[in-house]
Amino acid sequence: MKARKIVLTSGKGGVGKTTATVNIGAALAKRGHRVILVDTDIGLRNLDLVLGLEKRIVFDLVEVVEGRCQVRQALIKDKRFESLAILPAAQTRNKDAITEDQMARLMDELATMADYVLIDCPAGIEGGFRNAVAGADEAIVVTTPEVSAIRDADRVIGKLAERSIPMRLIVNRIRPDMVRSGDMLSIDDVCEILSIELLGIIPDDEEIIDTTNRGEPLVLGDYRLRSIYEKIVRRLEGDLIPFTNLDAPGFFGRLIGALKAG
Amino acid sequence: MLPLRQPFDVAQSPAAVPVNLGRAIVITSGKGGVGKTTTTANLGTALAKRGANVALVDADVGLRNLDILLGLESRVRYHLLDVLEEKAELDDALVRDKHCPNLYLLAAAQAREKDEVDTESMRELIEELRERFEYVLIDCPAGIEMGFTNAVVGAQEAIVVCTPEVSAVRDVDRVVGLLGNAFAPKLIINRVRPHLVRKGKMLSVEDVNSILRLPLLGVIADEPEVIVSTNKGEPIALRTDSQTAKAYHSIAARIAGEDVAAPMVEYKETFMDKLGSLLGGRR
Amino acid sequence: MAVLRGKGLGLEIALGERDFEEALAELEGKLGERPGFYSGTQATAAVGPSGLPEEQLARLRTLLSGHGITLEGVTTAHPDDGEELARRRALRPKRELQLSDAARSLAPDFAGARKDIAVRRSRGESSVPRLVPVPEPELQLAEIEPAAPATLYHVGTLRGGQALHNVGNIVVIGDVNPGAELIAGGDIAVFGSLRGVAHAGAQGDAGARVYAVDLSPTQLRIATLIAADAGGREVPKQPEAACVQNERITIVPLNSAERFTKKTKEKVE
Repeated sequence: MKARKIVLTSGKGGVGKTTATVNIGAALAKRGHRVILVDTDIGLRNLDLVLGLEKRIVFDLVEVVEGRCQVRQALIKDKRFESLAILPAAQTRNKDAITEDQMARLMDELATMADYVLIDCPAGIEGGFRNAVAGADEAIVVTTPEVSAIRDADRVIGKLAERSIPMRLIVNRIRPDMVRSGDMLSIDDVCEILSIELLGIIPDDEEIIDTTNRGEPLVLGDYRLRSIYEKIVRRLEGDLIPFTNLDAPGFFGRLIGALKAG
Repeated sequence: MLPLRQPFDVAQSPAAVPVNLGRAIVITSGKGGVGKTTTTANLGTALAKRGANVALVDADVGLRNLDILLGLESRVRYHLLDVLEEKAELDDALVRDKHCPNLYLLAAAQAREKDEVDTESMRELIEELRERFEYVLIDCPAGIEMGFTNAVVGAQEAIVVCTPEVSAVRDVDRVVGLLGNAFAPKLIINRVRPHLVRKGKMLSVEDVNSILRLPLLGVIADEPEVIVSTNKGEPIALRTDSQTAKAYHSIAARIAGEDVAAPMVEYKETFMDKLGSLLGGRR
Repeated sequence: MAVLRGKGLGLEIALGERDFEEALAELEGKLGERPGFYSGTQATAAVGPSGLPEEQLARLRTLLSGHGITLEGVTTAHPDDGEELARRRALRPKRELQLSDAARSLAPDFAGARKDIAVRRSRGESSVPRLVPVPEPELQLAEIEPAAPATLYHVGTLRGGQALHNVGNIVVIGDVNPGAELIAGGDIAVFGSLRGVAHAGAQGDAGARVYAVDLSPTQLRIATLIAADAGGREVPKQPEAACVQNERITIVPLNSAERFTKKTKEKVE
């Protein structure tokens, strides 16, 4: 059975695509799926860094495409999981080093070796974006509740729709206190503008900074955001998980009102 | 016989140029989301508040955002590509800022692609802007593809913006390498959270600059007010009560050549303000 | 005068003009108001010209460390002292001028150039010496056998994404940042911090070495062997070399006590 090939994209940079790719991938692997994460940001690779695997890179995506090594040689297995591997991008090359066709064929090959292939897309809508999307069947659009991110996500959604790629939305870095005071758009506002199915709502949390700097996926520790990612993964698998209330005890209990996260 | 080259006066700033041409500075980073556009909007505002004529150029074709940050999105009639393709005059495309009469915006196109921009035409356009403005700040898109090349082509100086995160440092380093020596890049470290740095949960300024090794223009702490100002379309540099605004103003002063106190002052102030309040409310 | 002040990124305990017991009590009170607030900071004590007796210093140190503050020094200078001001000025981060290639080419000895220019200007001469071509006698070029293979000599820092490849050796005067790559058939020497990827003996020479003033690579490769730093190596920064010993990549400090001899070349298929 072939894998699901999902690209994570956003348009705007810095909204959390790579962090989401790593944490969703790790959570999927924890559930027993075989997962391969692909970094397509040639020249600005970061996926390896966020997983803490940068020291083990021997071959990269471009070298595979150019035939200088086998795919299996380039894949780096994360020893903390049963079946999580990454295919790193090249750092000393440019995005014109591969074509959309080559990317599509490579993703198909990876799809024979895994259950999920998650493709981390670079920021923007140029060649890097086109390459990343060429290899995918589905998309997850990541945005933050800021007007510039939403505008860019909207543009990307337009481009994905042109290619008839089914997509779902993750809203990242939501701050319930700011939504409440009217200083930040609410989930409803965001969904109304973007009008695609919601996959996850992730609150802003400082623990992300340290975990990404140390290369530790959230599912490996007792982190507040861990359960959010676990729910996202369950929804990806097809379960209908409701979005938890932010004011549930043990979460942001001291806040009042019905804001959602999950 | 070829004339001897102009002797380079070392005592002057390397960015010194003949009086009649303005300074074109590109604001870039490689990594997205570190605050390039916010910095462009706020530095432009701060420089304009000092009395300079400033033009801001949004080079992020297809993903334009500078207009939103300035609250000018409804006033844009013609954009960068219209001017480059000679479908509109520069004067018609330049939008005057709502708050600063000597600040103008040249917006990007939204429904177009970055590779539709002709690099040579872009260079000429920036040159033309330099003839009319003291400062031309170019907001560079994320990445290092065509968008980056076109944003950089007309500039003589560069400001690189970095956050204290490993992936940002890595991307910025790549961009500095690509820029080479010609742009004399200077660094702004953005979104620092001093309490996390103290706890060792975030990179410090030294951690970041031990790799980047660039002259430091400023260090800006993370303030939620910045998000609010983005959403409202009013650059935070317009406010008088914000740490971030003060930081941008002192960076603008440094860019203008003033010998302002050491760049660490923004970082210290956050700590000092806490200390001040502890010692009896003196702020 | 308040006993506790901020100074630079740390604290200053002002004891110079105060009665010690009074000052210490005030300090204790201030620190007690917000326990843990200053934990992790460093402090200097500013004392009067007669200094501070050992016993008082010890009490001060104990009080501070009880709140997680390290007493890193004692200064007897008055803040308005000219010497103190000069010292503080010297501690401020210097802004470096970045010169264009054009500027660099004009004054080979940059360190002396600025002073030189000022001197010349004061004498009314031009700022920068203009080179005047002088007819020279024909030089006989020396016959030098080209060393094979040549060493690639690079002056400047290599940034992420940049790479140097050479069949012979590679020498870098500068840093090699993470994300940068050096691939040499021969040895690699970095006169700075090596933090990227270095591959020496890339064509099979396992006797090749990697030298650096600060050897902290993301990954080291010699011939067909690969090693990554396991991390947490608490070794003070010192010049080191990496070489192959017993079929493993080993790191050896380059200090004067060891005589570092070049072994005969080993070939690894």
